Amino acid sequence: MQNTKKSNFDEKIMQAIFFLSALISVLAVIAICLFLFMRGIPAIAEIGFMDFIFNEKWGPTNKPASYGILSMIAGSIYVTAGAIVIGVPVGLMCAIFLAEFCPDNVYKIVKPAVNLLAGIPSIIYGFFGMEAIVPFVRENLGGNGYGIMSASIILGIMILPTIISISESSIRAVPKSYGEGSYGLGATKEETVFNVIVPAAKSGVLTSIILGVGRAAGETMAVVMVAGNAVMPLDKIELLKPIRTLTANIVTEMSYASGLHESALISTGVVLFVFIIILNISLSLIKSKAQRN
Amino acid sequence: MKKNKILSVALAVILSMVFAGCAQDTPSGEQPAEFNFDKDITVVARDSASGTRGAFHEIMKIIVKESDTETDKLVVGALEFDGTDKVITAVEGDKYGIGYISLGSVSDRIKAVAVNSAEPTVENVRDGSYSVSRPFLLVTKGTENDLVKDFLKFTESAQGQAVANEMKFIGAVDSTEEYTSSGMSGTIKVAGSTSVTPLMEKLQEGYRELNPDVTFEMQSNGSSQGIKAALDGSYDIGMSSRELKEEEASELNRRVLAIDGIAVIVNKENPKSDLASEDITNIYTGKITKWSEVK
Repeated sequence: MQNTKKSNFDEKIMQAIFFLSALISVLAVIAICLFLFMRGIPAIAEIGFMDFIFNEKWGPTNKPASYGILSMIAGSIYVTAGAIVIGVPVGLMCAIFLAEFCPDNVYKIVKPAVNLLAGIPSIIYGFFGMEAIVPFVRENLGGNGYGIMSASIILGIMILPTIISISESSIRAVPKSYGEGSYGLGATKEETVFNVIVPAAKSGVLTSIILGVGRAAGETMAVVMVAGNAVMPLDKIELLKPIRTLTANIVTEMSYASGLHESALISTGVVLFVFIIILNISLSLIKSKAQRN
Repeated sequence: MKKNKILSVALAVILSMVFAGCAQDTPSGEQPAEFNFDKDITVVARDSASGTRGAFHEIMKIIVKESDTETDKLVVGALEFDGTDKVITAVEGDKYGIGYISLGSVSDRIKAVAVNSAEPTVENVRDGSYSVSRPFLLVTKGTENDLVKDFLKFTESAQGQAVANEMKFIGAVDSTEEYTSSGMSGTIKVAGSTSVTPLMEKLQEGYRELNPDVTFEMQSNGSSQGIKAALDGSYDIGMSSRELKEEEASELNRRVLAIDGIAVIVNKENPKSDLASEDITNIYTGKITKWSEVK
């Protein structure tokens, strides 16, 4: 009798501990949201929503100061798009190769290399970008090397592990019978892979791309070191010219900023946060659509 | 069969990478490419919240002041970095680059040029012939208490100024007066400029060796914050790496702790070693875009 009571009690306590652990991540999200919006929204209101989002002039030390982040929003979009153009084809082809064509002994080298790529800290990517990619772009493509091109290349490499590992596992998860059916109809291996298996893994591939976009849009350290961080008017943005992203704006100026300038940087964070929320919503939409199918 | 195909593809990829690497190395390795004066200048600046930027842009008239407006006319497309080290790396790597950093951070990775024919040396900054410099200020409000007075005496003594000179700043006071310990105790609260902070920390260390009963409260939060803190009395001493504004100066006691030169740096391969301040202004405001246009 005593024993059952005690074990019931233990169970309750353990249950509470597990529940608390689950709660902590939720609380963290709520706390970050509250902080961002409580600090950011009043500043947006003070600057004026239109003047903040749709103004390309950023001059926090000018008098009167201007706090427009349109150039940075465009910068984040360009750089992320560049990363997708470079990272997605390479990542996807690598995933298909790993899942369908790769001999075991090659797999033993490529797979750990991909995993290692995911573990490299972003500041290391930044150093690599500044010392290798920027000079490479400067000498072979022109400009001074800092800009959208270099940032896209670095981010394209950084999102590879995300795209490769999620795409690979979703391709592997396609039921064997799909492929067998295709072979049965006389299709070759290549036809089967590209016409049957990869289309069947579509939702997983899309998920990997969206997670890659999230990674690219939120990346900070590596971008700051290779993008040049110049606030460009929209009509002067070019592939080989410098650019400032939302994340770069926050990190370059946060250490010294004060007053409305500081709040404007936090508001920049709010805009970035909204970006990421939109990405996550589209992610769950894709997932639920895939489940319905 | 299939294995061979894969192997040959892998080999091709590796070979092309090697060749690409070689092709990249040759121009700089075999024949040092000449300095092309018709290439665009790569303008490197600091982020807009930096104290160094504020001082440099003001001295070089990149900030244009009209009756009640102030506009930073930095050329569109100038690179902006949030640290001295990144400015150095950028100028080191780009033959056509120009940047500015604190004189104390100059190294042989880049070349510090003369401005209006004055070399950026400690002596030239001290006698005023090198014009690109800014004061490090300590400000207090009203009559200081004895403890604060004693600490300020230390900063202006031979020992205090030696600390500044050791850190490649230029001691503002040519003092030969030795400071002797007063044996005081209490707490001094200091706030302000991040640029002055390293020097202030060393000074506090030196002072505490002589007066172990004194403690310090430090807040490194930027010049404007430090001045504000001194004005409202929440801190005893405010540190500033910029000059005081008129309305601030009328209410505060101002002491120059040290002078910090700002060096204009270019790539080591750049043949220029002397720039007119007018040209520097034109480069930073975009009126000059090529090295050939620089006198």
